[in-house]
Amino acid sequence: MLEITSTPLVIIGILGTVGILLPIISIARKEQGSNTFYAIIAFAALIVSMGYVGYQFLEENVSPSALFAEDVVVDDAFGGFFAIAMLIVALFTTVGSFNYMRKHNSPAVYYSLILLATIGMVLVAYSTDLVMLFVAWELMSIPTYILVGFRKKNPSSNEAALKYFLFGALSSAIIVYGISLAYGLTGSTNIGEVIQGYSTLDPSMLPLALLSVGLFIAGFGFKMGLVPFHQWLPDTYEGAPAPITALLAAATKKAGFAATIRIVILGMVVLHLDWTLALGIIAVMTMTIGNIAAIMQKNISRMLAYSSIAHAGYILIGLAVAPHSSLGLQGSLYQIMNHAVMKGAAFIAIAGIVTTLAVTHIDKLKGLGRRMPVTALGLVIALFALAGVPPLSGFWSKLMLFGSALDAGTALWWAPWLAIAGVLNSALSLAYYGWLTRKMYFEGETEKRVIEPKSVMAIMIISTIFLVGFGVYPEPLIKFVELATPVLSLGSMP
Amino acid sequence: MATELMGFEIGTLSAWLVWILPFAAAMIMPGIGKLSQNATKFIAVGFALMSAISAATMIPVALEAHELHHQIMWIEAIGLKAGVLADPLSIIMANVVAWISFLIMIYSTGYMKGDKDITRFWFWMMFFIGSMQLIVLSDNLLQVFFGWEGVGLASYALISFWYRDKKKDHVGTEGRTVLGMLDYYAPTHAGMKAFIMTKVGDVMMIAGMLLIFLFAGTFGFKELMGNTDWATAMAAQGLLVPAFVLLFGGAMGKSAQFPLNEWLLEAMTGPTAVSALIHAATMVKAGVFLVARIGPLVFALGAAGILADQFFEIVAWVGAITALLLATQGMVNPEIKKVLAYSTGSQIGYMMMALGVAGLSHQYVDGYTAGFFHLISHAMFKASLFMAAGSLLHIVGSRFMTDMGGLRKHMKKTYAFMWAAGLGLMGAPFITTGFWSKDAIFAAVYESGNEWALPLFAIAVLTAIITAFYTTRMIGLVFFGKKSKHIEKMEEEGHPIHEASVSMWVPYGILAVLTIGIGIIGLSAEEGLHHTFEYYLKNSFGIYSSHAAADESSILPEFLQGLNPVALGASLVAFATGIGLGYIFYIGRWVDPVKFVNSNIFFYAIHKLFLNRWYLNAIVYWCFVTTPLWLARGVSRYFEKTAIDYGMNDGVQKAASWGAKVIQGTQTGVSQSYLFVFGAGLLFVVLILLM
Repeated sequence: MLEITSTPLVIIGILGTVGILLPIISIARKEQGSNTFYAIIAFAALIVSMGYVGYQFLEENVSPSALFAEDVVVDDAFGGFFAIAMLIVALFTTVGSFNYMRKHNSPAVYYSLILLATIGMVLVAYSTDLVMLFVAWELMSIPTYILVGFRKKNPSSNEAALKYFLFGALSSAIIVYGISLAYGLTGSTNIGEVIQGYSTLDPSMLPLALLSVGLFIAGFGFKMGLVPFHQWLPDTYEGAPAPITALLAAATKKAGFAATIRIVILGMVVLHLDWTLALGIIAVMTMTIGNIAAIMQKNISRMLAYSSIAHAGYILIGLAVAPHSSLGLQGSLYQIMNHAVMKGAAFIAIAGIVTTLAVTHIDKLKGLGRRMPVTALGLVIALFALAGVPPLSGFWSKLMLFGSALDAGTALWWAPWLAIAGVLNSALSLAYYGWLTRKMYFEGETEKRVIEPKSVMAIMIISTIFLVGFGVYPEPLIKFVELATPVLSLGSMP
Repeated sequence: MATELMGFEIGTLSAWLVWILPFAAAMIMPGIGKLSQNATKFIAVGFALMSAISAATMIPVALEAHELHHQIMWIEAIGLKAGVLADPLSIIMANVVAWISFLIMIYSTGYMKGDKDITRFWFWMMFFIGSMQLIVLSDNLLQVFFGWEGVGLASYALISFWYRDKKKDHVGTEGRTVLGMLDYYAPTHAGMKAFIMTKVGDVMMIAGMLLIFLFAGTFGFKELMGNTDWATAMAAQGLLVPAFVLLFGGAMGKSAQFPLNEWLLEAMTGPTAVSALIHAATMVKAGVFLVARIGPLVFALGAAGILADQFFEIVAWVGAITALLLATQGMVNPEIKKVLAYSTGSQIGYMMMALGVAGLSHQYVDGYTAGFFHLISHAMFKASLFMAAGSLLHIVGSRFMTDMGGLRKHMKKTYAFMWAAGLGLMGAPFITTGFWSKDAIFAAVYESGNEWALPLFAIAVLTAIITAFYTTRMIGLVFFGKKSKHIEKMEEEGHPIHEASVSMWVPYGILAVLTIGIGIIGLSAEEGLHHTFEYYLKNSFGIYSSHAAADESSILPEFLQGLNPVALGASLVAFATGIGLGYIFYIGRWVDPVKFVNSNIFFYAIHKLFLNRWYLNAIVYWCFVTTPLWLARGVSRYFEKTAIDYGMNDGVQKAASWGAKVIQGTQTGVSQSYLFVFGAGLLFVVLILLM
């Protein structure tokens, strides 16, 4: 049994209570109220949750990355790692929305939905049971459908929400189908038991087990934005409110990776599948298509949407080589944490630009370095970190990922090609990051400085400190990643 | 030594302070400069003095032939230690460097007066001295290399100190070309040239260092001597001599030895105080010091049966060639500082020759002492000569000796001191240090009993004749004869020639007096040094010297007992011939040198060869500057602009935009088509898994 003080339960308690109370308060006060009031409550709830996760780590109440447990959730380092990444993004989104929500109604509902979605994401990472995972998945997805369509009168927001919902529903259905196959084959929904059941499966049942794994890849791949399950993504990111895009790109995407690592990777290990090739092909396709498509984009949200697709490809390299190199999963987790901060910060910067200047076209960003110096600098740091420019934090995680691909080269002859593809793609990505930087700093001459939203500036400063600080001194973060990474050895199998 | 301070023995503490103090001064210099530009000179001179006093406190250690070795952990992870090694060699060297630097710093306060960038000047001067002392006192090669690079960096910064490249700061004659190469250099070019040419040596040195480290697993001098298994292993693979020669490559670069000698002349673009420092105390002496550092080790290995004689042969021959090559060019150059620069290179060649033949003879200590004694005496008279030349430049406002002339009545002190120091350079018999040290070198070469002894001896004597000649020529051109048009013009404009200021003439006065003063007791000074080094070599390296019975039948008078009569005779003849010829042409002016040179084709050709620097500089430029530039342009035009720019850069860009268009085409915005792709993707994943 889980103790009542275990991290997932406490987070459900804090965020759930506040999430439910916020709309009730707003009804009780019979007024739309100031957006700041609700924002601060939501902010406080997230800070407390994050503080609790951190406290549990410091008190060493967290079990090592277990992957399996008898309960439906487990309070392990793996879940805690993802919880911190997601809570950071949720905090970014909340703070980044301060300004954005001034112009929109129903702030209480808005912040409440963010909190509820955050519970869902965190629980996905902690789940060790397929049904629990699915419930958490839906808890994460449904609020985000609403958030994406939050601008009710805006057709592009509606289109975004509709497409997102359509594909979300499809992927949910696919996941449920996968779960039902797994349950039918093994008679259990506990991930540990499912995996054990797979390992002793009658050979005639193998294709069904494969189908279930394939369905999981597709279902989670939708959230991760893997090619070819990615096409909804640019449309949705473009149409959604900018802070919500940060939540989608930086956090819900990570839930997909958490679920994939918990189920798919292990499932495939016991099924003795050569799944590395499948994931390798998807990884290369994802990063290449993401980067190439990003080059020609004129809308900055769309450009970063494609960049976010490309990053899913980098992270997937680690998963693909995981069984052959211990660096693989570490690199993936490292990149996930960095990407949460980099992409979160980048989209919040865009939210700040959109609310202040009401432009998204790249040509309109000329001279941004003079107009919004802090935002522009934070954005540039985030972009360079995304490109993996040393000495920023993004460099080390990419180094580890590509290093893992080279490391796996002794077992898989094609694994080094993943690293080569990754390096070439990083170079390619600098084309559009650099182009954006040029627009912001080297074009336009007459712009005057405008007042930047303080909340956005705060996030820029924090993300810059994170990216530069852990870039110069990556040791603590690497230690944390090592702590959180589950060990893929036969010993860890049930 | 029982005296302790802060847990250090006094001598050990001094050994650290000697090089840390100048660095500390350099570090605070920019801050002081911000507060008050005037204060910087006090900081510089003060710290130079403190460093010199620290060096002086170590002298008793050297006199007792004692040795201090102190180490601290440097990089724990790879077991690297930093340390100081104060043995007689490094203590004597440190004192020479420190005290001469101190005098040069005093001189600089006068010479650099009113320069706007004075803070930068002091910063680099202190950095220069600190780096040099680091080389001297380090106990391992790696630490030496840090100092080595520091010296290189400081020399680069100081040679191009006047980076605005004004016409008066150039060297060479404007518009003069040799083989199509301009023989006229701006300070920034000169600094870069020095940096790059010495860097060639540095690369060799680091290769040699790492090669030794590969086998020995240590950079430490004591450790290398302690266990010589590494040398046996290297010798077995034939790598021992190459490693030492590579190390010597570093010394060749720093000490401007043939064929890395050409940077030294252009180094004259720096302020004269810098030239004095480079030539007397720091930079070029570093190479000699390095050879003196590793020489006994190589010799001791040879005594233990691991022969590396080729190393000494190379050192001796490089030294001999340089000595003659640069001396010949010194005879004809019209610029006073360049004459002195040629002379330095040539004298350094002497030292190398001595250190080289030392290893080829049975009495290692003879050549070793001779080379090092010459280093000391050269440091004194060359610093003095340079500072005096700086005064002349300062007052006359021209670097050409043809713009001077007849100055002896106006600058009496400088005239006297220049004679004294100049006599040292010429090796005036019995009264100058230069005589004794040069004679010791002659004797060491002559007595080395090696197959190369006679040719090397001949070169040494020939060089001595030339040295005495060009020194007399320099003094004659500057101080004798009629005033040049340049000076007459200056006087008409109301700038009469006057003596240099006190802060300037005192330092070179002191050194000139010392050249004569120590010269008078030169023989006993040399014997003292010989004695010290004998103990040092015996204690530290186990090199014993045999005392041959005094030659009873010597024809020499009593006070010259122990000297080699042949060497002594050669010294006297060389001095007399050189100064005599110089007197005929430039002091007595009985023969016009220009007419003499033009009188027949042979002299004319020789003169031209010397003036054009044996064409070596032009050849270096053709091979290593012009040709690579030409190749680079070709690569740029025919490869970079075609294959890379058109092929790759444009190609990648076009391919990427084409790809982007294709992908954009699939992004229809229609949900049905998205769903179709999604379904196809699912099928694809399952199919791959089934494969």
